[in-house]
Amino acid sequence: MATQPALFDAASHAQRWIEEYRTHDLRGDVLAAGADPAWMAAFEELAAVAGDDLGQARERVQRHAADIGTGFRIIDEEFERPWPVSPVPLLIDVQEWRTIERGVAQRADLLETIVADLYGAQSLVKRGHVPATLVTGSPYFLRPLVGVAPAGGRHLHVVAVDLGRGPTGEWRVLSDHLRMPSGAGYALENRLAVSRALGGLQGRINVRRHAPFFAAFRAGLASACHRADPRIGLLTPGRYNASYAEQAHLARYLGFLLVEGDDLAVREDRLYVRTIGGLKRVDALWRRLDPRLLDPLAFDTHSRIGVPGLIDAWAAGNVVLANSPGAGVLESAAFAAFLPQLSTRLTGADLILPSIATWWCGQPAEAAHVRAEMASMLLSSAFGHPLAALAGTTPGAELTAEGRAAFLTDLERRPQDYVGQEIVRLSTMPVVIGDRLEPRPFTLRVFAARDGDGRWQVMPGGFARIGEHPDPRAAVMGEGLWSADVCVHGAEAVAPVSLLPAPDSLHIRRNPGTLPSRVADNFFWLGRYLERGEALLGAIRLMLGNSIDADTGAALAPETVGRLVGEIVAAGAAPRPASLRRADLVPFARTALEAGEGGWQSVAQINAHARRIGAVSRDRLSADMVRLLDAPFPRQPGMLERCGSLQRRYAAIAGLSAEHMSRTAAWRFHDLGRRIERAAATARATRAFGLAGASLDDLTTLLDLADSQISYRQRYLTGIARVPVVDLVALDPGNPRALAFQVEAIRAHLAALPVLDDDGMAEPQQVEATALHALVTTAQAATLDAGTLGEIDRRLATLSDAVAHRYFLQGAEALRAAGLTLA
Amino acid sequence: MIYDIRHVTRFDYGHAVKFARCNLRLQPIDWPGQQVEDYALTVAPAGRTHPARAEAGLANVTRLVIEEPVRRLTIESRARVRVDRLVPVPQADDPTLAEVARMARGSTDLSAASPAAYLYPSPLIPPDRAIADYCAPDLDPSRGALEAGIALARRIQRDFAFDAAATLVDTPPHEAFAQRRGVCQDFAQIMISGLRAAGLPAAYASGYIRTIPPPGQERLVGADATHAWVLLWCGPARGWVGVDPTNGIWMASDHVVVAIGRDYAEIAPVDGVVLGAGAQAMDVSVDVAPLDEESAAAAAA
Repeated sequence: MATQPALFDAASHAQRWIEEYRTHDLRGDVLAAGADPAWMAAFEELAAVAGDDLGQARERVQRHAADIGTGFRIIDEEFERPWPVSPVPLLIDVQEWRTIERGVAQRADLLETIVADLYGAQSLVKRGHVPATLVTGSPYFLRPLVGVAPAGGRHLHVVAVDLGRGPTGEWRVLSDHLRMPSGAGYALENRLAVSRALGGLQGRINVRRHAPFFAAFRAGLASACHRADPRIGLLTPGRYNASYAEQAHLARYLGFLLVEGDDLAVREDRLYVRTIGGLKRVDALWRRLDPRLLDPLAFDTHSRIGVPGLIDAWAAGNVVLANSPGAGVLESAAFAAFLPQLSTRLTGADLILPSIATWWCGQPAEAAHVRAEMASMLLSSAFGHPLAALAGTTPGAELTAEGRAAFLTDLERRPQDYVGQEIVRLSTMPVVIGDRLEPRPFTLRVFAARDGDGRWQVMPGGFARIGEHPDPRAAVMGEGLWSADVCVHGAEAVAPVSLLPAPDSLHIRRNPGTLPSRVADNFFWLGRYLERGEALLGAIRLMLGNSIDADTGAALAPETVGRLVGEIVAAGAAPRPASLRRADLVPFARTALEAGEGGWQSVAQINAHARRIGAVSRDRLSADMVRLLDAPFPRQPGMLERCGSLQRRYAAIAGLSAEHMSRTAAWRFHDLGRRIERAAATARATRAFGLAGASLDDLTTLLDLADSQISYRQRYLTGIARVPVVDLVALDPGNPRALAFQVEAIRAHLAALPVLDDDGMAEPQQVEATALHALVTTAQAATLDAGTLGEIDRRLATLSDAVAHRYFLQGAEALRAAGLTLA
Repeated sequence: MIYDIRHVTRFDYGHAVKFARCNLRLQPIDWPGQQVEDYALTVAPAGRTHPARAEAGLANVTRLVIEEPVRRLTIESRARVRVDRLVPVPQADDPTLAEVARMARGSTDLSAASPAAYLYPSPLIPPDRAIADYCAPDLDPSRGALEAGIALARRIQRDFAFDAAATLVDTPPHEAFAQRRGVCQDFAQIMISGLRAAGLPAAYASGYIRTIPPPGQERLVGADATHAWVLLWCGPARGWVGVDPTNGIWMASDHVVVAIGRDYAEIAPVDGVVLGAGAQAMDVSVDVAPLDEESAAAAAA
């Protein structure tokens, strides 16, 4: 039995890790009472995959997270950072979890009742249970929404609650997230990464699954819509948002359209998405955009990422927003102080999960208490406004004498700006630091969403944030912070949940729905850039003397090299070299290949364009494709080696798009971009190397540029002659690299894409494609001249413009009308 | 006093604008001491207009939607407003600033007219230490609210130079404060910032002042355009009291309130989005003419 020693090793490694861990001060740790069988199982699974090397276990999980495409962005950074996920999950027993589950659902119901009152009858304020200034202090109290009943009947559809576990094991609420509850995608990704790395754990300790929660959320949002098969979007602020990767992942997972403000339009109080088939109704949005930026007409006129008129559409009941834009009013630290008494008053029941003790200084008694006890409190902004007397959340004990005086003075003037909170001591959990387990404090974010019946479902698990500081609330994800998967486990086996709906409730859909214009635009240009990069790379390689034709040797005739240089210069990839001597050509090639500045359209620059498009299309591209697009520029010492490495990458990408992308409209745009670019490149190459008077080197180069050497040899055994070369490269519809082949493919794509009217009339881009097709199919190789090739090149540009005009967002710049002369 | 007000805004766009949606906050509100007797809004070319659903501040809002391409847009707002507002006189038994602050904090009113809505920083008026320190000497908590309000307005009028070239519509208060010059919007925002720092409810009022002064008086600054000043809530009995830091005077019968908000952004006379490329030029003219009693009677008949 070969496996037995390994199992034995795993158990002994786990035992030793825990023993070593227990040398730390574990008062309040999740393992304080010793490691129960579930934790033992987790460590054994870790040891089974990583042996005695915990550092390796961590890297393994990290690698899986990177494969899944999880990342996050620090504001103002160009590249996303890898998601820091710890290999050790947080384990919570299902009995303990039930309390959290009930507590979060109870809290969500209470929050809904309060939001509905603040934006409705306002009786809590009128009766004095909630001070008006507790509401107006929040920057997320949106007065224009008072009196608006939320479309679909509910203000809240999805909420997140941050919990802290105290040293004695009790869970308490640190904060509520109603505005843009983020992180559900990270929980999903952590689970995926950890279960790929520690596959056995899930079944071994019966870990509850996430999938039913997401299915319930989807069904809940859908049931709030008017239409039976609603179109739901995830509204993102765009790729520079810190959690864009998470949003893209969630959109893909939930089957929501990932949209930006520009993709949406409001007409007659209804919301639409701009698609290649025209405007299509949108029934609901999960918005991840700050509410104040949602609609420049309703709130901040400066917002350029919002949707003008969205709030009117919502108020008219025509689009469901998750959550309603004004819900964030309850997120303030000050409001949390009122929840326990509001719970008793409104429901007669105490909160199952208590909040941490908070005193809002807007009330005289509370202000006096904070003044007296500030040394043992955390002092903080009541509503998140910048404060006159505190730099941020500060322990009262850490204030200098001056700081204390300034705080007390401002507390006198503006008590309503401040809260005092008890300083929480958080429980710790094991995390891998270096190659050892060390205890670190953690918080737990839990998610709840309404299901199809409007009841709250709580995601079993969530995600844990692990920090260096004893109270990690103030810290943002970044250096020194980890996240961990949270496993709710129990003795009961997890029923094999089928995520598939009942067979009769779902109709088959081969076309995955609407293609937003922005996505079509991105895929089209992704195709064009990839093809453009590949063509430029081919020219550079040839110029560097890498012809595969053994007869002509490595060196091409100077005239041919000169023409290649001319093509590279015409592409804007590099400035014309001083001469065709090697000493000038090598730096020329280097610029064309990898110039990062100077405005040259080098291969590296073209790759960067493609990578940016890949970054915003990750909800629709395979992880393999994204990884290839994201791969750093090759670093081999030799330029030819770098070229070769790039060439293989291009081939891999082309293979993925040809073999792995479904034949959706998105793929058509991608392929259309490739075909137009390749057709133009071939037309230009034929004009440069294939006209009357072309030398043998010219023709060989043309065959190389068109990747048709082998095809030519298979057809013509007699040697290279101009007319057959031109026919093969330009006019032979059977050669997949030929101009004629591209033009035929273009025509076919445009015939298959949607048209706006069903009157049977061809649209302008179709007319262009047909005319181009006629021009190419009637041409003769012997008489194909510079004029005709130039005409083909021009028509391709016109065609590309016609495609853009018909299908893509027309980048109309929004101007502000605000601003009058004042005196 | 009855005023006939004509407020014309012209936009010229470099290229035709394809799709415009605007909020027009041009019709004066009814407010203690003033009543709108007649109102007409004309837009050329005619777009679709309808009352907007709800607003952040106190304003009459019309939503304008233009779906035809236009190169020029003219918005004319005409109002006849009866203003009957006495000059406030500070009294010994006025609530003190400390009392005003305390009563505002205890408000049980969530409406847009509630002092609770104007206690906190707003997007265009963030808290500013230097402005707070400058205003503090006039804002002793034990001082009567009206007395303190006019004293601060007069000090700002004395210490700051009116200079239309010094600031733009989006100049933040701390910049105007640092250079001690600006226009009505700057002075109003500075004063509001100082009042709020002291825990007092202060609102931004936009509107008009009469163009031609009564015989023997000087023409007020800001008479040929829209004007802005400050409202300070002075307890439930006194309510909102207006002070004009540009002229160092009370808001009385020379002022016509159009809209009230936390700051300019909430109640800009015209804002919104237009789709199009290129620049826009804007021209505004305002005329506020008092109607003499005879012609008022004739107009009524």
